[in-house]
Amino acid sequence: MTTSTSAPVTAPTTHAVAARTKGLRKEYGSTVAVDRVDLELPEGAVLGMLGPNGSGKTTTIRMLLGLVRPTQGEIELLGQRLPDGVEQALPHVGALVEGPGFHPFLSGRENLIRCAAFEPLLPKKQIKQAVEDALERVGLAQAAHRRYRGYSLGMKQRLGLAGALLVPRKLVVLDEPTNGLDPAGTREIRKIIAELHEQGSTVLVSSHLLSEVEATCTHVAVLHRGTVVAQGELTELLQAGGSALQVITPDVETALGALRQAKISARPLGEGLRVELAGTSAPQVIETLVKAGVGVYEATRWKTGLEELFARLTEAEEAERGMSSVDTLDGGRR
Amino acid sequence: MNNRKVTLAAAAAGVLTGAAGLSLLAMPAGAGQPPSLPNIAPETLVEQVLTSKPGAFGGTVEVDNKLGLPSIAEIPQLADGKHSARIWTDGNGKLRLALPNGQSEQTIVDDGTTTWSWNSQDNEVTKSEHKDGRKDEAKPDNAMDPATAAKEIVSKTKEFSDISVDGTARVANRAAYELVLTPKAGEKTLVREVRIAVDSELKMPLRVAVLTNGTAEPVGQVGFSQINVGPQDSKLFEFTPPSGAKVTTPEAKEEQQRHKPEIGIEQALRGENPQIFGTGWDTVVGARIPADAMTQVPAEAQGLVDRFTKKVSGNWGSGKLFTTKVATILIADDGRVVAGAVPEQVLFDTIGQVK
Amino acid sequence: MITRQLGSEVRWMLRRPRTIIGLFGLVLVPIIISFGIWTASDEGGGGPGLAAILKGNGMVVPIFTLFLSLNLLLPLVASIWAADGLAGEAQHGTLRGLLVAPVSRVRLLFVKLFGLTAMSLFAVTLMAVVGIIAGTAFLGTDGMMTLSGTTLSTAEGLVRIVLFILLVTFQMVSIGAVALAVSSTTEHPLVVQAATMTTIIVFQVLGQFPSLDWLHPFLITTGFPGLIDVMRDPIPFGQIWDSTLLAGCYLLIGTGLAAMRLITKDN
Ligand SMILES: Nc1ncnc2c1ncn2[C@@H]1O[C@H](COP(=O)(O)OP(=O)(O)OP(=O)(O)O)[C@@H](O)[C@H]1O
Ligand SMILES: [Mg+2]
Repeated sequence: MTTSTSAPVTAPTTHAVAARTKGLRKEYGSTVAVDRVDLELPEGAVLGMLGPNGSGKTTTIRMLLGLVRPTQGEIELLGQRLPDGVEQALPHVGALVEGPGFHPFLSGRENLIRCAAFEPLLPKKQIKQAVEDALERVGLAQAAHRRYRGYSLGMKQRLGLAGALLVPRKLVVLDEPTNGLDPAGTREIRKIIAELHEQGSTVLVSSHLLSEVEATCTHVAVLHRGTVVAQGELTELLQAGGSALQVITPDVETALGALRQAKISARPLGEGLRVELAGTSAPQVIETLVKAGVGVYEATRWKTGLEELFARLTEAEEAERGMSSVDTLDGGRR
Repeated sequence: MNNRKVTLAAAAAGVLTGAAGLSLLAMPAGAGQPPSLPNIAPETLVEQVLTSKPGAFGGTVEVDNKLGLPSIAEIPQLADGKHSARIWTDGNGKLRLALPNGQSEQTIVDDGTTTWSWNSQDNEVTKSEHKDGRKDEAKPDNAMDPATAAKEIVSKTKEFSDISVDGTARVANRAAYELVLTPKAGEKTLVREVRIAVDSELKMPLRVAVLTNGTAEPVGQVGFSQINVGPQDSKLFEFTPPSGAKVTTPEAKEEQQRHKPEIGIEQALRGENPQIFGTGWDTVVGARIPADAMTQVPAEAQGLVDRFTKKVSGNWGSGKLFTTKVATILIADDGRVVAGAVPEQVLFDTIGQVK
Repeated sequence: MITRQLGSEVRWMLRRPRTIIGLFGLVLVPIIISFGIWTASDEGGGGPGLAAILKGNGMVVPIFTLFLSLNLLLPLVASIWAADGLAGEAQHGTLRGLLVAPVSRVRLLFVKLFGLTAMSLFAVTLMAVVGIIAGTAFLGTDGMMTLSGTTLSTAEGLVRIVLFILLVTFQMVSIGAVALAVSSTTEHPLVVQAATMTTIIVFQVLGQFPSLDWLHPFLITTGFPGLIDVMRDPIPFGQIWDSTLLAGCYLLIGTGLAAMRLITKDN
């Protein structure tokens, strides 16, 4: 297989992509785990992949890494077409998929040395140094000599991260990296992701921690029941979803009536109401209210959080199912 | 173009090759295409067999026994099945015979002056020096060596048989004629025919098969499965008893084995003066076991005999009849024994003549 | 690159506590045998088959030990290594790590087969060496007496031992290859061990029934007893060759199936 055989899946776009999928579908027996996923991971981006449990995040990542063969669809990874180009692409990819996997009877260091032995890009002479650097980077240097068996959940997670960072990578794929980490650990992950971003690496991180994604990601893709329901730059997404005005007023009834007449959608909320700014603007809303004689105490531009966006995209059906599957706070461990 | 499919195909091919190999290994070594050889007159072939003098050779002999003997746990060698032996001879009377028996082995070496018999099972060597050059001490080799066995059969029965050449065969990877001896119509025998594969070059018998009435497969077959003709390593015909092995004489050995029942009958029939009745295929051998020997047979051996024989009686007396597909043995209660490759009626008719 | 991977694999196997325990157990076998024959040395024959010629014949101990162990102990060890090789790695999630390193799946299988072979050879050789030492120490030696009653020089004896080591290792690797095929289908190493050992035992039981003689040529265990021909003089290579070919077929089938499964497997 030469690079010439692994032609790009689609016509080259203006910006380079680190990974791209097209019409990706994966069936496990009668279960459809992932369906019609067209994902685009721009080079240098930090893409946060969000989705409730079982929405197909891990499955998508495993297909991207060539671990699982898609039932349908095409994948392009670092300019190589999978599955044929997988061996050219993967040396430049560091991955932590579905929790860390190590041998319990070996120490953390020995485990990393074994991983390093199979890294094509790592010359034999540099293995020792690379292992020590990775251990240092994830804060495990002190515990490196201990058996993996005795590691705590967070230490295991850190070791897994160290394995993904053994060599400088073009793409780092992290499936729920903060799982089991303490707040300090979470912050460190955030820092590491930021560093990788600065160095120009592309990062794909799946997470339940929305605050986490909001803080570190440049791009977001939201998966729901195996399909991508939204993707794009974080700021764009937030803007598109988030134009509303919060109005504090004692005269809720009058206000609602006036707005309805002006064909502006609004609903009561707290001590006032929430007005959607679709097809209208804030001054217009206030004008309408004042003209109707409603006393406006305060009007604030509603800042949509990722949390709300996420809820809007996935909530309806979740509510039907009677379960809330997304942890919005630090309770991200499953 | 598709790497994965190619690898997958290669792996599948590996599996198929392995499976094919297994079935090939399981298939009995095919006889292959019979070679085409110039025609030869049966009389000429018989003459050549009798006068041929096998030179030095070494080989493996397969004995395939389907005599229909009961499998007796106590005497496993008699049971139906395949046994193999290796044989080396220098063509001048020196001989080495290796008889594997499970994981042990009996080795018989005749170095020209002494016959050594070694058994790994009891770490014992039997040493018997030839008296005045007499050569029939090494009795076991006659039965094991197809060449010798065939010669004996041909010389003893050719007058009583219709002889023909029935095509060719490949034995031990050598081209051979199939010489067939069919007992003449008047012969009252269980044997239908004896087929002898004779090497087309050396005129040495390579395989003997005995067929009886009513069976398509040979009931007994002795043949080379592998042979290399030519001088053999002279070291093969030497034997030094291993250090720590017990060396005995045949006399002492026989003393030890006296208690075995099958030895008693065999010795009686082979003994100093067996009585021969008739000629040709329906020859019957008779003997009388001394009365004291009969009573000495231990109870367990008696039980063994009873298990595999049929009680018979007639105007000649009463006794026990032991039948196989190719031979019948009648042991009268008074110690008379007759045996032959004949139906039981012939034995009943003959036993009266035993003295 | 490949040597580095192979080295890492062998080092990894040697680091396993159960490998060390297993090797220790294997080494005990020739010692116990030598000691047993030594204490029983006043009685008559040592037993059936090879055991009968063990007395005063220490060089036979390694061959006897390996011959005996081939029936159960060595297949067990091979199955453990094969089980840990793929099923064990899958269980710990390390298989994923290797695949994204990346190691191609065919190469991964090759690395596993190599590890299995190297360790089998090591274990068998270790047993043989300990067998020679223990046998010589307890039973003494004066060359090597064969089943045919001839006595070989020490050098000739060593050649036979080396030949036997290679033959036994090959049988062990073939069993291990089949175990690897099983190993590639599951995440539970114990399933692999149980399946392999059950097969070996069932094969041996089937081999006991004369009525199933049409089946016997297909059973790898049928080939085991024939290897004893190494102790005959001169060596008849017929059965040895047949046993090795039989094992070779199993090796091909096992490796092929494992490769097919690995290539198509989702991880
Ligand atoms: N090996 C498999 N066999 C059968 N079904 C599977 C398998 N792997 C995943 N699935 C199914 O595919 C769907 C997506 O699973 P996936 O692991 O990708 O979800 P996820 O988004 O990673 O969830 P989580 O947030 O819980 O990690 C689920 O319904 C799951 O049951
Ligand atoms: Mg997941």
